[in-house]
Amino acid sequence: MTMIQVSDLSLTYPGTRNPAVDGISFEVGQGEIFGFLGPSGAGKSTTQRVLCRLLQHWSGSVTVMDRSLADWGQDYFAHVGVSFELPNHYLQLTARENLKLFANLYPQDVTRSEDLLAVVDLTADADTRVGQFSKGMMQRLSFVRAFQHEPRLVFLDEPTAGLDPVNARRITDHLQTLRADGCTIFLTTHDMHVADLLCDRVAFMVQGRLALIDTPRNLRLAHGRKQVQVEYRTGEGRRQELFDLDGIGGNERFAELLRSEEIETIHTQEATLEDIFIRTTGEQLL
Amino acid sequence: MDVQRIWVLMGKEIRLGLTSFMSIYVLVMPVALSLLVALIFGDLFAQTPRLGIFDAGGNETLVQALANHSSIQTRSYASQAALEAAVARGSVEWGMSLEADFANVLREGGAVARTNTYRWGEAGARSLMLIEAAVARAVVEATGLVFDELPVSVEVVQLGEASAASWSQRLLPLLLIMAIVLSGLFIPSSSLVDEKQKGTLVALTTTPASLLDVYLAKTAVGFILSGLMALIILALNNAFAGNPGLLLLVIALGGLMSSILGVILGSLSRDMETFMGIIKVLGLVLYAPGILEIFPQVPQWIGRVFPTYYIMNPLLEISRNAARFADVALDLAILIGFIVILAFVLAREIQRQQQQLALEG
Repeated sequence: MTMIQVSDLSLTYPGTRNPAVDGISFEVGQGEIFGFLGPSGAGKSTTQRVLCRLLQHWSGSVTVMDRSLADWGQDYFAHVGVSFELPNHYLQLTARENLKLFANLYPQDVTRSEDLLAVVDLTADADTRVGQFSKGMMQRLSFVRAFQHEPRLVFLDEPTAGLDPVNARRITDHLQTLRADGCTIFLTTHDMHVADLLCDRVAFMVQGRLALIDTPRNLRLAHGRKQVQVEYRTGEGRRQELFDLDGIGGNERFAELLRSEEIETIHTQEATLEDIFIRTTGEQLL
Repeated sequence: MDVQRIWVLMGKEIRLGLTSFMSIYVLVMPVALSLLVALIFGDLFAQTPRLGIFDAGGNETLVQALANHSSIQTRSYASQAALEAAVARGSVEWGMSLEADFANVLREGGAVARTNTYRWGEAGARSLMLIEAAVARAVVEATGLVFDELPVSVEVVQLGEASAASWSQRLLPLLLIMAIVLSGLFIPSSSLVDEKQKGTLVALTTTPASLLDVYLAKTAVGFILSGLMALIILALNNAFAGNPGLLLLVIALGGLMSSILGVILGSLSRDMETFMGIIKVLGLVLYAPGILEIFPQVPQWIGRVFPTYYIMNPLLEISRNAARFADVALDLAILIGFIVILAFVLAREIQRQQQQLALEG
């Protein structure tokens, strides 16, 4: 089942000549984690704002949850969650009060708050004023707020930014659980490791257009070298040799290395998403 | 628009408002000033009655007796015209023009002595009574006679508009405007600017609550607090009089105008610094009718130029002069006109802000 269907979407900001988004088309299926990648100014935030019904006056066709985006009203957000890159909470209220305030704005009963607080390890701090939270704690609270009403579709912007590895792992693990439950996640990130780990498919956006869209695995294979690198130690120090993967079973030199040398590592040479990002966008990741 | 969500958002506004310095300031300030005026300023500004004298000649003893009187302040003028001008501008509250040998005529008792007297329109009853007693005593001192009835023909000319406003009464309009405008305008506007700066506004609009719901909740809280403050100030100043229904209607309209204006200003202001800059200029315009009321010498029609006049004037007319609906209908119509214009501006501003949030969010 298709959750998001975008066809020939374009948007030009008033007072500018070049479109911020220039005729892009893609689909996101239900229960899919879809990574939207690209350098700053590529148009990915604009696309996300269109999908969040924040920006108007776009052209093309956008269907979300089997209904044209233009036909949705504010009830759209009863089914959709949004988490922003920068945490935005009421600092004078406690974490629990913040969640309750937002929960009360939904027509459905919101019952997941406490479970999610436990998932992100915030239960003990739930009655602390958010003004006393670290950035990472605020980020985790944003995550809870985006998911507490059990949305079918969630837009996440850099969900692991500012988190330590343990809490980042908590978030990514839970996203995988949610995906298994059928929740669709539209993820915008610069963190290629997170994208690679989580996303079923990723799209690279450059100058308002979609340059690539595929599964991380396919992209890695398509953009990598079909080679294997062997690293071994000799009396003169550490050495490396590259072998073509095609016909490696009959490669005598490879077999000899395995038999006679002290092998330290063997790695296939597929590209990383970071390599693909740099090659596709021409920009270095920060 | 969803009433349930607006109610939730209003609860949030009140909850956060109670911890905001700005809210505490705007709620406490008019009450504190009111108490200050009632407890201190009333006495502080109650001045010694001022009597002006023009002596056409031969009344030195009488003038000296008046000058020596400790309960009043006596000033002499060189001409009757100078005396009249002084009374007209309120420099002295009562003016006496003594004809030549006025005291001798009295002492000899051969004829009726004549004096033209001038009364400043806004002279208080207390001043007039003290001056009257002082003059009677000075006449007795100067002539050495005791009269059952003074053989004096007194012609009183009133100069300036008749009004007996005390200082606390004069300050009441300003306090009322402060109460209605401060709470009605400042609380929604400062809260909105804060929400924009902290990003919570865009977070709210990505829930089933619309920007209209958020703005209406802020307007409603400003409206309620503004009304409460106006009632408190009227009660503290013993001015909750006249037709209570009509009084409440004016307070409600005033609160509505202030809170809509507050939400518009908050929405237009990029940050708190910009907002405070706007308020510095706009504050003077909003308070102007109340400030003008303190100075009755200034032509009062000037106040009509300012929108808050149409809140202040009906309130004063109802509470002071027991005005009926027909008496204040024109002011109320103009006030409603302002509200309609502001509501239209607010509707446009909500659309603009929605786009702005999308670009910044």
